Amino acid sequence: MKTLILTFAFVIPSVLFGQLDRSVRPTAGPAPAINIKDSEVFKTANGITVILSENHKLPKVSFNLVVGAAPQMEGSMTGLSEIAGSLIQSGTTTKSKDELDAEIDYIGARLSADNNSVYLSCLTKHMDKGLAIMSDITMNANFPQSEVDRIIKQNESGLMQTKSDAGSMARNAQAVSIFKNHPFGEVMTESSLANINRDAIVAYYKGAYTPDGSYMTIVGDINKEQATAMVEKYFGSWTGGKPETTKYPVSALAKGNNVVFVKKVGAVQSVISISHPMMVEPSNPDYIKLQVLNGVLGGGAFSNRLMTNLREDKAYTYGCRSSMSINEYGSSFSAGGNFRNDVSDSAITEILYELTRISSELVEDEELAITKSSMAGGFARSLEDPSTIARFALNIIKNKLPNDYYQTYLQKLDAVTKQDVLDVAKKYLTPANCNIIVVGNEEILPRLKQFDTDGNITKLDAFGQEVKEILPADISKDELISKYISAVTGTTSAKALAKKMKGVKSLEEVMELTMDQVPFPLKSTRVWITPNSEGQKMEGQGMVFQKSYFDGTAGGSSSMQGGKTELSEEEIAAKQKSVGLWPEMNYATSGMMYELLGIEKKDGKDCYVLKINDGKTETYDYFDKATFYKVSSMSIEKNGDEVNESSISYSEFKEQDGFIFPNTMNISMGPANFAVKVSARTLNAKVDLGTYK
Amino acid sequence: MKHLIFTGILTGLSLSSVAQREIQYVEYDLDNGIHVILHEEHATPIAVVSVLYHVGSKNEKPDRTGFAHFFEHLLFEGTENIERAEYSELVEKNGGTLNANTSHDRTFYYELLPSNQLELGIWLESERMLHAKVDNTGIETQRSVVKEEKRQRIDNQPYASFIGEMFKRMFKEHPYNWQPIGSMEHLDAAQEEDYVGFYRTYYVPSNATISIAGDIDIEQTKKWIDKYFKTIPKGEAINLFRDIETLEAEAFNKKYGVAKADFDPKTKEAKTAAAKAVFKKYSNTPVDIKRTQKATEQLSGITKDVIYDNIQLPALFMAYRFPEQTNADMYALNMMNDVLSGGASSRINKSLVERKEMATFAFSFAYGLEDAGMGIFAAIAAKDVPLDDIQKEFDSEIVKIQNELVSQEEFEKIRNQYENQFITSNSSVAGIAENLADNHVYNGGANQINTELKKYLAVTREDIQRVAKKYLTQDARIILHYLPKEEEK
Repeated sequence: MKTLILTFAFVIPSVLFGQLDRSVRPTAGPAPAINIKDSEVFKTANGITVILSENHKLPKVSFNLVVGAAPQMEGSMTGLSEIAGSLIQSGTTTKSKDELDAEIDYIGARLSADNNSVYLSCLTKHMDKGLAIMSDITMNANFPQSEVDRIIKQNESGLMQTKSDAGSMARNAQAVSIFKNHPFGEVMTESSLANINRDAIVAYYKGAYTPDGSYMTIVGDINKEQATAMVEKYFGSWTGGKPETTKYPVSALAKGNNVVFVKKVGAVQSVISISHPMMVEPSNPDYIKLQVLNGVLGGGAFSNRLMTNLREDKAYTYGCRSSMSINEYGSSFSAGGNFRNDVSDSAITEILYELTRISSELVEDEELAITKSSMAGGFARSLEDPSTIARFALNIIKNKLPNDYYQTYLQKLDAVTKQDVLDVAKKYLTPANCNIIVVGNEEILPRLKQFDTDGNITKLDAFGQEVKEILPADISKDELISKYISAVTGTTSAKALAKKMKGVKSLEEVMELTMDQVPFPLKSTRVWITPNSEGQKMEGQGMVFQKSYFDGTAGGSSSMQGGKTELSEEEIAAKQKSVGLWPEMNYATSGMMYELLGIEKKDGKDCYVLKINDGKTETYDYFDKATFYKVSSMSIEKNGDEVNESSISYSEFKEQDGFIFPNTMNISMGPANFAVKVSARTLNAKVDLGTYK
Repeated sequence: MKHLIFTGILTGLSLSSVAQREIQYVEYDLDNGIHVILHEEHATPIAVVSVLYHVGSKNEKPDRTGFAHFFEHLLFEGTENIERAEYSELVEKNGGTLNANTSHDRTFYYELLPSNQLELGIWLESERMLHAKVDNTGIETQRSVVKEEKRQRIDNQPYASFIGEMFKRMFKEHPYNWQPIGSMEHLDAAQEEDYVGFYRTYYVPSNATISIAGDIDIEQTKKWIDKYFKTIPKGEAINLFRDIETLEAEAFNKKYGVAKADFDPKTKEAKTAAAKAVFKKYSNTPVDIKRTQKATEQLSGITKDVIYDNIQLPALFMAYRFPEQTNADMYALNMMNDVLSGGASSRINKSLVERKEMATFAFSFAYGLEDAGMGIFAAIAAKDVPLDDIQKEFDSEIVKIQNELVSQEEFEKIRNQYENQFITSNSSVAGIAENLADNHVYNGGANQINTELKKYLAVTREDIQRVAKKYLTQDARIILHYLPKEEEK
């Protein structure tokens, strides 16, 4: 009783109106302890790594299965894995989609699946029923044709919607421009969707959905004994092969800043994203420093630089942020937001200014402190969600982090200095070498040119495909060919050309090839003998992998895997239309169909586009309008239903023996990419076509 | 992607909830009218401080729409004791996060902090309530920011205008006529006195509910609430206090008949008997908070309109008049909606999206607000499917649920879903604080958090059929066709 009254008497004076000095800011109490419980980790006989984080606050449990397959190139079937993922719940060998949906909804559970994971969340009392369905779709999905058709149709509509959604358009443009020749840079289009079929979907599922290398994260109201028994009961009989784990390297951007514009009719705002690849993996010790850098710049706290400058100071936007996506398969940085049309250019200027500033000057003590505290707070708050602990355990295993990585996270965060932030900014941010993606109204286009280093804006469509704007050509097709020939042979009259060509009897070119998927260098040799014979071989590690020849009337190829094949009549007829070292010289007489389409921008340069067709392959050749050199070539070959696309770009043009030759090439054929460098070229060498047969 | 634009609406729908475990809390009123709700749990060392002001867009004047939301922005701009831009910084540098949101019915602010910073959160919110400082720089900046927010969330988002189009047609009298984002022209036209007037009417203790949850000590928390909130003057005295801080001496004298100097410049304590008397008089004068009435207007007939938008695929939206959120029929209406649209096995998904492939995305939802409600059916058409065909399909689902009892199995399914949903909600302290405050202000009491599930489980199959007949009135509804702009002739 007495204490009570005393407390009362003690409290009263402090609450009397007028006695409180409100300008005195409260101080913090002693810091609360942050307690990160360990997760249980065990591996099953069939290769599943199980991570268990018990939490008995609510009578719920969740199971998240992630398979170990790495993202792969999908080429003409881009979107395959996404479509396959959205069909995993569409029926199994014993149950229809309607039955699966009804059973899951009946127990009030949540079940979702995508191209590499299946997630179940339910009340612990319904766990058996839920897992029975989860394991059924994981092992026995059977992709009924009717569901395949439905999902493809639904995606056709979805792609149409993309054309009105600026955010999706920006994400597509960003992916395509950052991740060249990489699975992350592939975007599903109407034509790639059309190529996807059930067989390919089943093949994808069989390859990707395999226990080997997969992870099962279990969180919630379940103990180890139950978890072990459940995984054994529902996933013990799961079998499969080794998952595909090929990783694709991320290549650096071409030098300078590149403006990428995507038109959105009627847009009242521009979606802007300034982005570039980052050469870093999650296991890198710089990871936490990078998070701090991003926090100060435009991540974490509301008071970050981008938000302060572009929203609170300039009022250009509702929000401007930066983010780093650091992923084991490919990482990138981006900064941006939505800006009204009339300030879109100013917004780009300010974002670039902030990127440059943070990469050249130390950050202030105070903003570093705010960012670190804000990150520490975010870390503590994240622990409220029971799945956080399990996610930590998964990251440790997948990224091979030290076991105490998260226990000591706050100390590591605290140790990050201003110098560290500047060092990682210099090392990983490239403000003078990025893609400036703008999705918006065409009226802002003229004001974007200033940001592009070479003044040539790349225009993409909603799906990241280059927009072909063809202008009428100012010369005829034969004038173009004559200018091209004149440029590469250094001759100015037909007579001079004929004389010069007479002296060319043969050519041998030796090239070094590097290919993403092949760990050792390859050597390729190409020969030509007048008038129309040619041979080619590819070798490496002391073996010849492939060779081919054509002697003017017959030809064939042989390879290590495929044995020998002869050229068909159709193929011979096609080859006979390309006569000579520069076949263009003979188009007028060789029977080649050729047509000048006009002038188009290609990699920022105005080029004449010449479409040629030899009856087998349709090719689009691009001739630089300024030099008349052939800078790239894109071919489409149809074999029945199969369509093969390949493209070559030529660079490093140099004079040799009075002719201009390209000395480097980039070749892409479906998912394969080669970088080619000519190491030796001999005119009129002694060549034996027999070695190519 | 296509789900993106609707998340905002669907979260607003998530039923405030009852967990299987009883949520314990204490609640009381302060003298000045502030309602306090405290919930203590120690699983994670964090605490949330929230204040709900019972003011939303429906309290705005018809020529000053967008004000409630605009205020939400302004109230991050600082106070007499907190500099511009410092408000968020104080939270963030102490490891916390903060935000706010505005609806038709409420404005809600919160700080989520490490639990040792609880006092800071309480002080910050008390500063915001007592004497937020709004200068022209702040107003100009936030005006542009809000315009960008509208462009980003509505103007540049396909279909996103449909909610506004529906409310405009359904509520011709009631201030639900406009949306919280409001009119940019109104914001441009607003004068300083408009801002001051709004603040003085709605940002007062008797219009506020404080809800604090997390790793707190209830007794210590009460002491801090006393220190920072109990000291906020009652009734019109809060505005007297604000005038001491902001009015010039002469104007003050003219208004109150006592000198400004009669109050301590620092503590604002009345020093003379006359000043004390004035202060007492104003304390005893309640602030005249303008409340709205339940909407009485009903739809008459069918309103059918076409809206041209920057879209590729046409879409159909239909709206029915539902009752206010506290109406007992809302339990059955929410369950009816789940039969139609809750989960992959729901009727609308099965028929319109999967079996007939008429829509890429189709759903219905029940919108429950303080003064009225609305039921919406929506579908984005699959390529080349006429909107009238989609409407026929919706109509046949409506006729079915009106004429036949939902099956026992479907009914069990919905009940199981509710059980799961109620256990899942209230899994975060921020969610608990918000649900407690919402239930206190709008649902008849904070304890609804513990009783709501029982009310849902009391709904019968016959109730669902009854409300379907009563509210899905085929002869009184709004039908909107969204068509691509290119088709506009």
